[in-house]
Order: sequence, then C-alpha cells, then structure tokens
Amino acid sequence: MKKYLTADSLFYILLIIIFLIVLPLGNILGFVSNNTISLWGRYFCFAIAALGIDLIWGYTGVLSMCQAFFFCLGGYSIAMHMLLSATGKGVYSAAIPDFMVWNQVETLPFFWEPFHSFGLSLLLALALPALFAFLFGFFVFRSRIKGVYFAIITQALALAVWFIFLRNETMLGGTNGLTDFKSLLGFELSSPRTKLGLYLLAFFTLCGTYLFCRWLVNSKFGKVLVGILDSESRLSFTAYNVVNYKVAVFVIAAILAAIGGVLYAPQTGIITPGRMDVKASVEMVMWVALGGRGRLKGAIIGALLVNYLYSVCTSLFPESWLYILGILFILTVLFFEKGFWGLIEMLEAKLTEWSPVKGSESLKANV
Amino acid sequence: MKYIFYFLLVFALPLRLLAESSVSDTQTQVNTLISGSDSLKAVVINSLISSEKTEVYPLLSAINDKKLFMYNNILITLGEKQTSDDGTEKFKLLEVYPEFKELSSNDGKSLYLPISELKEVEFSRSSRLLLAPITPYLNLLSPEVEKRKLAYSQFQGLKDKSILPKLYSALAHEKHQEILRLGRETIFSIQLNSSPEASHKMWTDSLTLNWGPNTQSILEQYAAIQSNPELKNFASEKAEELQSKHERLRMFQNLFSGLSLGSILIMIALGLSIVYGLAGVINMAHGEFLMIGAYTTYCVQNIMSPTSDLFFWISLPLAFLVSGFWGFVIERLIIRHLYSRPLESMLATWGVGLVLVQIARSLFGDLTAVRTPSVLSGGWEVVQHLVLPYNRLFIIFLSAFMITATYLVLYKSRLGLQIRAVTQNRRMSSCLGIETNKLDAMTFFLGSGLAGLAGAAMTLIGNVVPDMGQTYIVDSFLVVVTGGVGNIAGSIVSGFGIGFLFKMLESFFQAVYGKVLILTLIILFLQYRPKGLFPDKGRIGED
Repeated sequence: MKKYLTADSLFYILLIIIFLIVLPLGNILGFVSNNTISLWGRYFCFAIAALGIDLIWGYTGVLSMCQAFFFCLGGYSIAMHMLLSATGKGVYSAAIPDFMVWNQVETLPFFWEPFHSFGLSLLLALALPALFAFLFGFFVFRSRIKGVYFAIITQALALAVWFIFLRNETMLGGTNGLTDFKSLLGFELSSPRTKLGLYLLAFFTLCGTYLFCRWLVNSKFGKVLVGILDSESRLSFTAYNVVNYKVAVFVIAAILAAIGGVLYAPQTGIITPGRMDVKASVEMVMWVALGGRGRLKGAIIGALLVNYLYSVCTSLFPESWLYILGILFILTVLFFEKGFWGLIEMLEAKLTEWSPVKGSESLKANV
Repeated sequence: MKYIFYFLLVFALPLRLLAESSVSDTQTQVNTLISGSDSLKAVVINSLISSEKTEVYPLLSAINDKKLFMYNNILITLGEKQTSDDGTEKFKLLEVYPEFKELSSNDGKSLYLPISELKEVEFSRSSRLLLAPITPYLNLLSPEVEKRKLAYSQFQGLKDKSILPKLYSALAHEKHQEILRLGRETIFSIQLNSSPEASHKMWTDSLTLNWGPNTQSILEQYAAIQSNPELKNFASEKAEELQSKHERLRMFQNLFSGLSLGSILIMIALGLSIVYGLAGVINMAHGEFLMIGAYTTYCVQNIMSPTSDLFFWISLPLAFLVSGFWGFVIERLIIRHLYSRPLESMLATWGVGLVLVQIARSLFGDLTAVRTPSVLSGGWEVVQHLVLPYNRLFIIFLSAFMITATYLVLYKSRLGLQIRAVTQNRRMSSCLGIETNKLDAMTFFLGSGLAGLAGAAMTLIGNVVPDMGQTYIVDSFLVVVTGGVGNIAGSIVSGFGIGFLFKMLESFFQAVYGKVLILTLIILFLQYRPKGLFPDKGRIGED
C-alpha cells in the first residue's frame, strides 16, 4: 500500500496552490494587492539565491559569506540596463542617468556601454559573478583555504566590495544605489500586469532552478559534494580533485545568486549597496540555516518564511525584529540543526511510526 | 542770542571738553565709555580708533565682541568657559585696560566667575558698528583661538608695513604656541614683501626657521614673482627644503598612524585568537563585547561627577570585568554547545551579536560619546609639525600592556599552561585531569574581557554607538587569519603588518582601494602560507 500524502508532496501542493493559483488569481480579481505580489516576487528571488547557498554550504560544507555580493552584481547589471534604456526620459533629459548629472559627469563611463543591450546585460549579469567566483574560488581553494578561513576571507571580500560600491567615483550611484527604473524590454514597470508577469517569471525561475539543483544533488556531482562535506581529505585521497568541485559549486552558487538579483532589481525598483553588506550575506546564510540546510526545500522555505516574518514583524513591532532574528539564529543552531524542514521531516517520521498502516506493513513483511 | 548761548552750554561745551581730554588722557575717555551717554560713547570710540593706540585694542575688541563687563571697578572681558558640577557656566576673566592680563584670585589661581556676578557695559549697535573697519585688528586680541588664527592669516601676504606695529603689540600678548608661530610667520612675510631687497635673505631665513603652517607657499609665491635670480633661487631652495622635511615628517606620522591602527587591531584580535585556539569558536559577537566595554565606560562617566577624569581610569578594569562577565554567561549558555563546530558557532555568535546590539540600542539610543580625560587630550609635539596625539599614544601603550599581560598569563601561569595544553590536545589534557569545562569558561572570560578593555580605550577616538563593534571586527578577523588562527605572536606580527601596510597604502590611494589591495595581498599571501604566518599546532581545524 502506497502512502500519497507525504511532507514532500504537501510542500509541492501548497507551493503551487498558494503561489501559482491563490495569489495571482487573487491579484487579478483584486483582493490581493500589487504590493503583496511584488513582495512575494522578491522573496522568490531570495529563495533562488538561497538554493545556491544551500548547494555550497548545506551540501558541500563551505561557508561563503559573500553571496549577497553576487546577488547584487546581477541586480546592478540589470539595473544599469534599465537606467540606460530610460535615458533621455529623466528629469534632465540627458543621455546619461540622472545621478551622473548630479555628480557632474558628462560622458557615460566606458563600462556602462555594454549595458545598452538587454541580451548583453543579461549575459554580463550572470557571467560577471561567475567569472569573479571562478577566479576568487580558484585562488582561494587551490591554496587549501577552508572552513573558518574561507568564511572570513569571503566576509572581508564582502566588506571590501561594499566599500567600493559605496563610493561615488565608481559611477554606480554611491550610497543611493541605482533607482528610478522606468521599463524593462518595453514593459512599464509601474503597471500591475508587469508586476504580475515578473512575479510569475520569478516563480517559474525558482521552480526551474529548484529542479536543476535537485538534479544536481542527485547526480554523481552532488554525491561528491556531500563527500566533501563529510570528509574532504578522504575524498582527495581517493583521487578526486576537490578543488575543481569546490570551484564549480562556488560558481554555480554565484550564478544562482545573480539570477535572483536580476529578477530582484526590476521588482523592487531600487538596488543599493545596503543589499550587499556583510550583514546581508550572513542573513542569506541564516535563511538556509533556519529553513534546513542540506535540503533544497529547506532553503526555499527558509528564504520565504524569514522574509515574510521580517515584513510582518517590522510592521507590527519594529523594535523587536533584531531580537527575534537573533534568537531564532541561536535556537536553530543550538537545537534544530536541520532547520524547519528537518523538524517537519522528524514529525512525519514520528507520525508514520505511530500509524497503524505502517504497523500492518511491517507485520506483513515479517510474515 | 540767549538761546544760542544755552545751546552752547548744554551741547557744545561737553563736546569741546571731550575733544580736549582725548588729546590728554585716555583714562578719562575710558571712564566716559563706562558711564557716558550713547552719543558720547560713540564720540570716544571714534577718537580711540583714530588715535591708533594699541593699548586700548583689547578694550575695543571686547566692545566689538559684546563682551565688555565690569568687575570690582575693573574692565574685563570673558575668556574660556568652564562648566561646573551643577551645570553653571563660569568664565575666565581677562582685564582689558589699562593692562591686558588674566585676573587671578587671592590664592593666585585664575579667577572664574559666572556672568551673573558681572555687570555688562552696554553699547548701542551703532557705536559698535564704528569698530567694523578695524575689526580685523581687534580680532587679533579676541579670547577665541580660532578668531585669532583667522585674523593673523588674513594679514599674510600684505605688502603694507604700517600694520606691523599693531601685529607686534598684539603678538606680545599671545601665549598660544601655534598662534605665536603663525603670527611671526605673518610678520616675516609682510617684512619680506615690503622691505628693501638687501634684507630679503634675512627674512627668508627667519621664515624658514619659524616654519609656520603656510611658510612653504609664502616662499613659493615669493619666488614666483621675484625677479632677482639670486633671491629667487634662495627662496625656492628654502621652500624645497621645507617640502622635503615635511614629507619626512609625514612618513613618520604615517608610521605612527600605522602603529596606532595596528595596536587597535591587535587589541581586538588577541581575544579572538585565544578563544579560537582553545575552543575552535570564531566569535562573531566579539565586536559586541568591545561595545559592552565602551558602554561600561559611558555608564561610569554618567554615574561619577562629570568634571572628574577619574571615571576613565576606573572604567578600564571595570570594562574588562563587565565584558568578561557577559562573555562568561554567553559561553555557559550558548557557545559551549558549539565547540569544534566552527561554522555553526560563527552563525550562532552572529545571532548573539544581533541581540546584544539591539539591547544596547534600546537602552542607550543611537549616539553617545565619552569625554576624553584632560590628561589624554592634546598631543605631544615631538618637533615642529609632528604632533602625536596622547589618546593614540595611550592606546599603543595599552595594547602593549595587554600583549604583555596575555603573554604572562599564557606562558608564565598555571592557567596559561592548561590553556595551551587544551589548545594542543583537548582529550589528552582532559585525561590528565584538566577541567576543560572550567577552563573554557575562564578563557572566554579572558577573551571577552580583553575586548571590553579595547572598547573602553576606543571611546577615546570615536563615539559610542551600538554597532561600533563592526568597524574593526572584519579587519581583526583578517589579522587573526593572516597571523595563524589561535596564535598570539602571529596576531601581533600580522596586526602591525596590516596596520602599517594599510596606512602606507592609504597615503598613495584612497582608503577604500587600500582596503581592497590589502585583501588581495592577504589572499596572495595565503597562497604560500595557507595556515597563516605561524600555523597553529593544535588539533582544531584538521579534517
């Protein structure tokens, strides 16, 4: 006798019912606000980035604390394209984005040029983080920097690039970041239809990346990743080139984060260096930890749940959010190593143990 | 006819008398300023201005600043302010006429009084406006340092010898070292620009010897317009000489800043390093223990009397104890469950940090500051143009003290022996009868206490804010990583290395790019020595 309603299937059913049917339909019928749609659309972007973190940290055991930087590289690339496609329509009708006019810049900096074309921008949005992660990862992993060392180095990297993006002379908008986007590929960003479209795009991308990650972790590649988590040195003794695997997973995680960033910028309408400071990266890791590391569903649930909690808490009791987050961090790490999804799996296991169906099955097996 | 006579008697006669007295007696004029009518005061002010007597300038300066008072029949003006315990403001009293000097009380100390005990000598706005043309000269005698500085710099580069007597007489009253140098520079520069060429070399030499803040540019400008080639070369040679001297001093100043930054990083890294070495926990809340130390200082300051500097010295050991206590509590409650799970402990301690920052924010608000004790304000002027601030010097000494103390504890005490044993092999030490549990708590107390002490010192150079721990923490992590985690000597070497390197790079690039460059250098360095300068010999960190 086969059991149909497992936690796994419940997860898929709920995900599809809530996010593919209830919310979009409600939005079209008018009882779910555009704001809510955009909000969840953004959470999907975070969830995509969280999948990457789960791959590198949950499965491989490498704690990267600069994922928010890759997220922002994607976001900034697409934001630059959106700003350039809106030039001439700004307050100053100049051929360059408005913030450059304020900074007394007259010609477009050379590195903005490629972002005139959408295709190139999209390519760069994914290729830049990938290239960066490859170079950085190659040098760092090659010298066998691991564990705490790697976490600290990536944290320092996050701090350094954050400083660079904060500067005005790097022509990336400084502290204010990039904002005031008008349209993307001709779609008005302010219209509800576009918002819903972006939401659905983010949702399907999340589903796609999830399926990709699931395939990846079940492949031989994924098994090697878990091998690295369990014992890196034993794996390397059996002639696996651990460095290559680590670099590969670091690049994949960076690309996933960048995909999230690309979808995030048009939905939020602004991207600032605040999205990529040290805190932002650590919080991303915490989503995965809270949701359940080493489980892809856990990463998704963590990202959605923590961010939803954040928007609820900051509107209800703004003072207490950091207390809640901090205490959740501590409790999860101390008591629920497998996070929220681990808790659900545990409950499910207990339930099946008690259920009579299971008992009779085992009886039959004995017979 | 009769009316005309009366008119003369009432109006003209006093004016006539006044005109006579202005020639004869300044004291009478000054008396008129105190008690005369507004119109008389105006006349007297006019005649004082035209007489160009420098001895009355302090008096006029006080009128100009609206700060002329009477005290015991002496004309005085207000000097520096002093706020006493109960919040009343008192001012130093300066006599303005006939002499310009500080008033002292019977025991010979400077006299401080609140405004309420003084009687203001009032002047109408129109009579004060009469002083406008000579305000620059009057400001030379203002009790405010900044005003005087500005006044002297305004006269630089003039070619008019007639103001020299005023400058000389004003400078005779000057006691502030920096302004004395500036004033001499002003006088020499006017002399250089207006004297006959024969004396130019002498004035150039005087300028060079005096070496004020603008000397180099004065000489360069002079050389640019001077047609006599000999004088021109002489001046530009001197200017170059000053330039190279200045650069040497700046390098020294950079070295000092590097030393200071390095010692801050080491102060923070010491605690981190000990704790990691022993327990394999990278404490992301370490910066928050620093914050606790700073707030301890702030609280002690508020509890104790606000004028006494004692609070700072008391708060140093107190900050150590309070931060150490918090560290102890958090170790017992949370961190001891996470030993040898370094990555998870990073996240949990990050959570602890978030909570601690939020607690501080709810308790103290966003921005508070601690007063710098008067002993530590100001700086030590080693040579001209090289000032080493006392607070930075203190931080360097404190970190030297902390390093020594940590070394003594680790290498000369029984506790240190045990800590080192557990760092090398926890299970073996446990078998040999070391209570590792107790030791962990003790070490955490020590490590957090060191951070607290650093925090108390950090109040000298910045504000006390809830997230102050974040400023240096990532850099300190880098110090620990570069030095070899868990290794004190490594932390010290890499702390100074990074501090110096950063300040050196900062003088070539902007600070931000310096930071990026340092990170690149560290990553390259770790290519050759992946476990830092001095790799730790413990079992932690092995797969």
